[in-house]
Amino acid sequence: MTNTWALCALWVGLALAAALLAIWFKISTALSEIVVGTVAQLAIIAFFAQGGLLGNTQWITFLAGTGAIVLTFLAGAELDPAIFKTKWREASIIGLAGFFGPFLGCTAIAHYVLHWAVMPSWLCGVALSTTSVAVVYAVMLELGFNVTEYGKAILAACFINDIGTVVALGLIFSPFTYKTLIFVVVSIVVFAVLPFLTQRFFKKYGGRVSEIETKYLLFILFAMGGLAIWAGSEAVLPAYMIGMVLAGTVGKDHSLIRRLRTLTFGLLTPFYFIRAGSFVSVPALLAAPVTLLVLFGAKSLTKAVAVYPAVRAHRYDGKAGAYYTLMMSTGLTFGTISALFGLNHQIITQAQYSYIVGTVIASAVIPTLIANSFFLPRHLLPHPVKNTKSEQEIQRQAAAEQA
Amino acid sequence: MGSPVFVGIQRILVAFDASPHAEHALDVALSMAGEMKAKLFVLAVIRPPEPAESAEFHAVLDDGRERYERIFVPLRERARQKEIELETDIILGHPAEQIIHKADTIQASLIVMGKRSHTILHRWMLGSNSERVLRYAHCPVMIVH
Repeated sequence: MTNTWALCALWVGLALAAALLAIWFKISTALSEIVVGTVAQLAIIAFFAQGGLLGNTQWITFLAGTGAIVLTFLAGAELDPAIFKTKWREASIIGLAGFFGPFLGCTAIAHYVLHWAVMPSWLCGVALSTTSVAVVYAVMLELGFNVTEYGKAILAACFINDIGTVVALGLIFSPFTYKTLIFVVVSIVVFAVLPFLTQRFFKKYGGRVSEIETKYLLFILFAMGGLAIWAGSEAVLPAYMIGMVLAGTVGKDHSLIRRLRTLTFGLLTPFYFIRAGSFVSVPALLAAPVTLLVLFGAKSLTKAVAVYPAVRAHRYDGKAGAYYTLMMSTGLTFGTISALFGLNHQIITQAQYSYIVGTVIASAVIPTLIANSFFLPRHLLPHPVKNTKSEQEIQRQAAAEQA
Repeated sequence: MGSPVFVGIQRILVAFDASPHAEHALDVALSMAGEMKAKLFVLAVIRPPEPAESAEFHAVLDDGRERYERIFVPLRERARQKEIELETDIILGHPAEQIIHKADTIQASLIVMGKRSHTILHRWMLGSNSERVLRYAHCPVMIVH
């Protein structure tokens, strides 16, 4: 298909269909777009054209890449800097445990159990090490824990976890050369001056019809992304960090964030998620479903084994079970970004990409389905009666009564 | 409305999602609250998309809050004209859970909600809100068709 507008109409039509499905089934648009991308690719190849959705067309790649960069920036900008100031120690320990557990565990399982080569195994570890900050935050808001010390620490830990993923993705697969050094030094300088510079710039030139704030942010994101690619790294690494350093300034500007969301959800992310879905090979998934099960089991097990002791070490016993379970959920954004990075750089095959994306979707969806289908609503569970007696005293009393 | 069955109804909780059924339920509840001099609580629950994704989740949250705040402005005016004591609340979460939790917290005498038809898949994935509320609520529940 060489007609650009016809191809564009097809993709935007699929995005529209995905948005409608998301509304009807009350699922996230990202998930809907990935699934629509997979199904559409399969159907088009089977019935219409061998090339499918032509996801590697240059302009589609550009829009999808920009979507990933802006989405990552927005995710970073949602950080609350105040949380880090008070909870950095607990957050670092739990967050790093949440990252290193599945990162090392899934890498080992991919290599030794599935017999994947070394580099694909590392990439699998990176893709499955993420945590969905939004899932954790949603439940915290629901239960009112977002304002508690415990909730704040866990939320900050999720950000640390995702920093680990982004840094690993940006550094592991790039050769360490003088370019890497230049990239790191320039990044540190930019991250240091950006909050101050942005505030001054927006104050002087912001609030105009020409949308100067959006252009400024896109310029910074593209420039740092370009530098990252030049250094052999990944453009989302600086995007996430820029989002975090600007969380206290841009992140607080609701009007600007809303305008960026319009750009992101209206045009960019549909191309990103549909493209990510279109590369999933359904025949490969059907050929070896056990691989999917192994990776899903590896992700859940390693996350639990790593996070639970870290949470317990900080004496967070009460609601710990709920939250370490939540931290097992994978963020669709970072999970698919990592997998796509691997596919684009030929680190993994299309079949391996399909298994990783399948696992990312499964670990995002299955906990939600289980919670909604089998568990009673949390507020309805009977409140435990406060008993001042210890367990041993109760047993002793019961034994005495029996005697 | 002098029926003895309504004696003692002092706090009515309306579950509101801005659907036509919920609008109808709200009209019924307003009328009942006016007749019985009961306090009216209107609860809007924003359901996050599942699984939640960072940017989209915050967008849904902001959008929901603004939307319900806009809807509540004329509602407050209607309640004021009818001299009904009104309290509105917008929260995030599973609708059935939050409705029951709110009813429990305010010690509601009656929950009024609209009936929404769902597909089998929707019910399996998310559960029917009215069914869950009917099953677990501590007080009478009125489903308005």
